[in-house]
Amino acid sequence: MSRPVPLASSIQAESARLAAACTACGACVEACPMPDFAGLAPAAPTAVAAGMRAALRGEPVSPEGLAWVGACTRSGQCNAACPEALDVALMLRLAGMRLKGALGEPPRLPVPGDAGWAARVKAFARMTLTEEEQTRWL
Amino acid sequence: MALTFWYGCNMTRHGEVIRLAMRLLDAVGIEAEATGGPASCCGSPKEADARISGGMAERTVAKFNASGTPQVATWCPSCHMNMQDWMAPGMPRNFETLHLTEVLHARRAALRPLLVHPVPARVLLHRHLGFGGRVPVNRMVAGLLALVPGLTLVEHPLAVPGHMCSSLATVPGALARAQRATLEAMAASGADTLCTIFHSCHRDAVTLERGRPIRVLNWVHLLAMAAGWPAEDGYKAWRNAADPRAAVGEAGLAAAGEAGFERLVEPELRRPPPA
Repeated sequence: MSRPVPLASSIQAESARLAAACTACGACVEACPMPDFAGLAPAAPTAVAAGMRAALRGEPVSPEGLAWVGACTRSGQCNAACPEALDVALMLRLAGMRLKGALGEPPRLPVPGDAGWAARVKAFARMTLTEEEQTRWL
Repeated sequence: MALTFWYGCNMTRHGEVIRLAMRLLDAVGIEAEATGGPASCCGSPKEADARISGGMAERTVAKFNASGTPQVATWCPSCHMNMQDWMAPGMPRNFETLHLTEVLHARRAALRPLLVHPVPARVLLHRHLGFGGRVPVNRMVAGLLALVPGLTLVEHPLAVPGHMCSSLATVPGALARAQRATLEAMAASGADTLCTIFHSCHRDAVTLERGRPIRVLNWVHLLAMAAGWPAEDGYKAWRNAADPRAAVGEAGLAAAGEAGFERLVEPELRRPPPA
């Protein structure tokens, strides 16, 4: 069964839809617990939100927008704060994927690399699961 | 098969949690199979490449479809959100997605008679902010812990940012601050036990036991203890050992393979605690 819509197309379509509905009012930024970690306390919430929206549009992104998207930990407090009832957490995720180069553009955010991820998962499985469990569950 | 328990990838560090979760499902009358690891990935580890990430997600949805399972119960909030956000919307599927806590909470009447062994503990629940909008997991786990005789769930407003601790680990200082806040909440509330909800939190939080008179247990461990089932956390013992290699022992080293242990496992076990 093939995927009717490739993920890259979904990212582009959802980004455009959500960016078009966003007014960059900054309520999401004010509700977020992370600006303190990202050094964003002095930045205007509207400017930060506009930076995130620019990322969704594939436009140049301000440093504050880049910092906020990079500091998203998916706390979800933004969703309840949005007066447009947008899924801001998803907007941040989409913006993050785009800024990491998911659509083939040069990455603007660091891409966490763990070349040993799959091998590590399997190594721990061999240590904590029986052979029968590995056969059935892995 | 009535349900697939999709335990994610990183939980292979805690094979006993997978095993105990399956035992809990069986105990409440649910015929289940477990699946996880890289072959059942949601795609999030490769989110910086939509082609690879989408391909992994597509393969996993196709696998669930082919299995004929009517329900997939998640463990990992990332897997759960990815399924809702773009795995399921992008592909036809013939199963519904739930979280394991929802499944067990709905059958808590069947769990209650099994949980007869007192677990004396004053427990602080390690609540995160982020996943509650999808699944009321904090309330579900609290409801399950209420079934454990001898256990007191302390009241404290602690709510850690992020959807789970691995998200905090990518922001400098955030995980350490969250862990310090957790310790302060335990002290303020008189808790002697921290109950983690997600695996990514648990594998880092276990180091909080070092030099402190507290226990760090996952909610599955606590239910198992109340049922009288063995619930030894081998990973915690390795992670907190002065010599992880010795703690793992010859059998563990042989299972991982010497080269694999040195390259993949040992660096993680020797990593300094976040806080």
